[in-house]
Amino acid sequence: MVRVSKEVLQKAVTTLLSDFLVCPLSKNPLRYCEASNSLISDAIGVSFPIKNGVPCLVPREGKILDEEDASKPDNDTNSYTASDESQARSS
Amino acid sequence: MMRGAFFSKFSLFRKTKPFPNFSSPFSTTSKLNIFDRQLKRKQRDRAAWLMPQNDPLLNTVADNLLDRLQDCKKTFPSALCLGGSLQAITNSLHSGRGAIEKLIVMDPSNDMVQRCKNADRVSNEDNMEMMFVVGDEEFLPIKESSVDLVISCLGLHWTNDLPGAMIQSMLALKPDGLFLAAIFGGETLKELRIACTIAQMEREGGISPRVSPLAQVRDAGNLLTRAGFTLPSVDVDEYTVKYESALELIEHLRAMGETNALSEMNVILKRDTALATAAIYDSMFAAEDGTVPATFQVIYMTGWKEHHSQQKPKRRGSATVSFKDIQTQFANQS
Repeated sequence: MVRVSKEVLQKAVTTLLSDFLVCPLSKNPLRYCEASNSLISDAIGVSFPIKNGVPCLVPREGKILDEEDASKPDNDTNSYTASDESQARSS
Repeated sequence: MMRGAFFSKFSLFRKTKPFPNFSSPFSTTSKLNIFDRQLKRKQRDRAAWLMPQNDPLLNTVADNLLDRLQDCKKTFPSALCLGGSLQAITNSLHSGRGAIEKLIVMDPSNDMVQRCKNADRVSNEDNMEMMFVVGDEEFLPIKESSVDLVISCLGLHWTNDLPGAMIQSMLALKPDGLFLAAIFGGETLKELRIACTIAQMEREGGISPRVSPLAQVRDAGNLLTRAGFTLPSVDVDEYTVKYESALELIEHLRAMGETNALSEMNVILKRDTALATAAIYDSMFAAEDGTVPATFQVIYMTGWKEHHSQQKPKRRGSATVSFKDIQTQFANQS
């Protein structure tokens, strides 16, 4: 029972994610991270939590990821992330 | 024809910048913030618990706003509903207006979204798919050109950067998408504003802002054209709500999550001053039957995202008939 509702929730989040949602700050695509149950914006290295199946995309709720966490997905986006992050910090 | 007039000087009271600055996400201290958005979120969290199931004022405004959907021949498969009176809007949309298939409900307050979600789980008999997001109107987390309709009912007047929020809504719309918004206008709570000022002058010898600054009607058209909407239209409605006393008015405002959230707010309100305000309110504005009226001015804004199928004014100088001869032209035709 619980598992079913969880699947339904996740489906809602994934359709939202694929069709509508982007990072509120950079407007780049978000990535769903199953381990931490959060949405990750690779472009600026910030993760947004999902509470009760509701993605929480208020900038204040976002957590800045450590360098190691941010570099997980693949090396391709990694270099981009680093440069973008430094840009954000300098401005 | 009248649209040209909207391009006159922007006389906005809000200090604004043309485009929201996304590159510095966490340094919000540098720009001028009129409203404390974090406080507003907390107030809306609280309102989620206080709000009655049916608030007549919010329902009237929501109905009035959504009536505009029935004036359009277009249908809106995907819609985005921004903060403010969420439940009034979702209840109205459940009755099938606008043929909405997917509705994204967004509010800055987590509790408000949860409340909507729980209410939706109880009464989900039609096939409108609802999705919920917690998000800030000033940082809209919606993909470009992804929704057909953006509704904002009584939420945008709390944004620090109203043009920025509207520009983001415009970008989120698909071409030929519709933007519908209702905000409180400058005449709202004018009685309370006056009573507060007098009471504070009397008891404390000075005044501090107690009622937040609101957009004026003349600004609304400017805002729509500035955000890049085509075929803008603005209309205004004034509602007078009668309360037993000023204290009930404050209770109502609290239940709607519309209490003061100015960042420069004086957080201490002396009991003495508050009671004096209520007394002044009563003596200045009370009606014969002992109730006190409060004015709510609502500005309705409608705008479309540009599309080639929309009507456009012809190029200047492209007319072939002079206005002088127009009467003879029509006389010949008939």
